Amino acid sequence: MKNHVILRIVTKLLIPYILLYAFYVLWHGDFGPGGGFQAGVIFAAGIVLYGLIFGLQAAESAIRPRLVQFGVALGLLLYIGVGIASMLLGGAFLDYDALGYDGQHHGILLVETGVFITVASVMITIFYSFAELVRSQ
Amino acid sequence: MSGEQLIDVVLLTLLASTAIAIARLRNLLATAMLTGIFSLLGACWMLFLDAPDVAFTEAAVGAGMSTILILAALCVVNAEEKPSRESPMALFTVLLTGGVLVYGTLDMPSYGDREAPATTNPITRIYLDSAHAPVEYEEDHAAGRDPGDAFAIGIPNTVTTVLASFRGYDTMGETAVIFTAGLGVLMVLAGARRRRPDPITEIDLEPADEGSGE
Amino acid sequence: MDGVREVLGWLFIVPGAVFCVIGGIGLLRFPEFYSRMHAAGITDTLGAALVLIGLMFQSADWTVAVKLVVILFFLYMTSPTAAHALIHAAYTSGHEPLLADDGAPRQKGDTP
Repeated sequence: MKNHVILRIVTKLLIPYILLYAFYVLWHGDFGPGGGFQAGVIFAAGIVLYGLIFGLQAAESAIRPRLVQFGVALGLLLYIGVGIASMLLGGAFLDYDALGYDGQHHGILLVETGVFITVASVMITIFYSFAELVRSQ
Repeated sequence: MSGEQLIDVVLLTLLASTAIAIARLRNLLATAMLTGIFSLLGACWMLFLDAPDVAFTEAAVGAGMSTILILAALCVVNAEEKPSRESPMALFTVLLTGGVLVYGTLDMPSYGDREAPATTNPITRIYLDSAHAPVEYEEDHAAGRDPGDAFAIGIPNTVTTVLASFRGYDTMGETAVIFTAGLGVLMVLAGARRRRPDPITEIDLEPADEGSGE
Repeated sequence: MDGVREVLGWLFIVPGAVFCVIGGIGLLRFPEFYSRMHAAGITDTLGAALVLIGLMFQSADWTVAVKLVVILFFLYMTSPTAAHALIHAAYTSGHEPLLADDGAPRQKGDTP
């Protein structure tokens, strides 16, 4: 790749901040605009940028497709797990008050993390599938 | 016309003209770019309506991921849309559906209407007051709380509270929908995962003379 | 003090908006791709930077100003990179610039 130096350097500078910003949006969703959906898409956008500039194989060796496929289900399991945990602790399904002191805060945080994992994994999986389609042409 | 109305009119005009351009163009690469621009304008529109969370998501998904995926799909198909036949039946169906939708919106309350159900229903007050800090469990259990404070959750962002706590079931359904969409894409495109021993070619902007990633 | 800050902010925002409009006019009126990218890239970076600096003056809290500095930093990183990527892609796929003395055609191996 002859002249992609500028793109590579700028991408190397920016990707850590993009991923960090995704986590910031996730955990500050309680205090400002944000939440799980936005954070998942921003995280996936960072990984997609890495895959575009450095090659699909580099991206797939950083975030393996098997791991991402596992993450698709893990997020939803975490969400439903929070609901079942509150049932086991005596409340109704998804009743965060049963999770103990400051249960609402912790419940919302866990639930948003589950949404983040699912959304990021689904976006990365879709990108990998499309890119494999292009590559195998 | 006040400044806000002017921004309103300009944004909606830009949205409408971008949509018309998307429908009329035959070059698919230009259409992909215009779809990204439409999403960005839609995000500005939502920010103008005081909905930053939705604007955030629309900008990230529409102007970011969606454009990349459409471009990746364009690598596999023709870059030019085939000319479509004129069909008066299709035009009539579109006009009928659009007309019925516009007729439906005539019944909606005005923006910020005092008598609208969104303003007068007590649940709105409960949602908005949930940002108060919750009562200390030990003392005020005994002191007796009034029912409004039972819903005090203490998280400043009301949208997150409504999304994750008050309407948690709906968000679980949304997450399940996203999960199903990912599953569907994996099932449809799984056949493309054929490992070939050739050197790696990237999704690239320049003609591939050699292709080694790093 | 607040009035001075607000006036100072407007002193930056209005020229920034004017530069953005100039960039838009240049985008429409220049004859070919490379000069249009030049107009768009330079004037939009300058216009956006002036608007953000004006907003920094008008911000209510110092934390908002710090976040605006970070936004300005990211804008300066990504906007010229995007312009570079576009022009590089156009150049290597053979799009010829419109030169003033359009004499000899471009040879392979000429310095751009």
